[in-house]
Amino acid sequence: MSEEVENVQQTAVEEPLDLIRLSLDERIYVKMRNGRELRGRLHAYDQHLNIVLGDVEETITNVEIDEETYEEVYKTTKRNIPMLFVRGDGVILVSPPIRGGN
Amino acid sequence: MLFYSFFKSLVGKDVVVELKNDLSICGTLHSVDQYLNFKLVDITVMDGHKFPYMLSVKNCFIRGSVVRYVQLSVDDIDVTLLQDATRKEASK
Amino acid sequence: MAAALEPYVNHTVSVITADGRNIVVSGTLKGFDQTINLILDDSHERVYSMSSGVEQVMLGLYIIRGDNIAVVGLVDEEIDSKLDFSSLKAEPLNQIVH
Repeated sequence: MSEEVENVQQTAVEEPLDLIRLSLDERIYVKMRNGRELRGRLHAYDQHLNIVLGDVEETITNVEIDEETYEEVYKTTKRNIPMLFVRGDGVILVSPPIRGGN
Repeated sequence: MLFYSFFKSLVGKDVVVELKNDLSICGTLHSVDQYLNFKLVDITVMDGHKFPYMLSVKNCFIRGSVVRYVQLSVDDIDVTLLQDATRKEASK
Repeated sequence: MAAALEPYVNHTVSVITADGRNIVVSGTLKGFDQTINLILDDSHERVYSMSSGVEQVMLGLYIIRGDNIAVVGLVDEEIDSKLDFSSLKAEPLNQIVH
């Protein structure tokens, strides 16, 4: 295989997972089932969306109903995990690098 | 097979497996299979006061499908090697 | 390598099932297969609650379907025999939420 063809394969986006490949070593956003969100540096993934993230911040959002006003109260808790394997079956979406410091 | 190989390279290291029932089990990785079922030895359940269900269990088997996360030690992982392996696997 | 459970055969195991209610079933592991279906002989359920100590319910010979298994633990019988279950109180375990 010529080097040129190989380069094209490295950068071309033909299927969704190619976009994730381009996010390797970048900070990504992962939305999980059950109100969990992750932000961290992508180190590995596979076709099931099993993922390894480094320097992770997890945000868990719980909805509670106020007993008196019946209003929905959103409670978020955060925690930091230095290195995390995430099982793919819990992943809803993966968003490429967080731009502009968002 | 990327993560199967990945976890095989972590056998003997300490991990925390967080399950989908919110139980976190801390222990030494003893073995892993293709389904990412894990066997841990010398386990303790995190927050053991609240979760005293496995006080007499030192070795356990965890079904891969109930795993939410596995917390790893940064020192046990070569991120460059891991990213290269991921690129290699993705280009197959 | 579902053979991972081979060393547990004919030993007392503690199984955490996927539904929160059936918290711990202890018995002797008689057999298993690659989907982690289990055969447990002489099993009983340990029901945890906050209002009273652990209640033991005799179940006998049980086959549990692999899909409903979360954790299979090898029971250290020496430690287990020293535990005072009558005074052990705990919240029931959550069920597995996929």
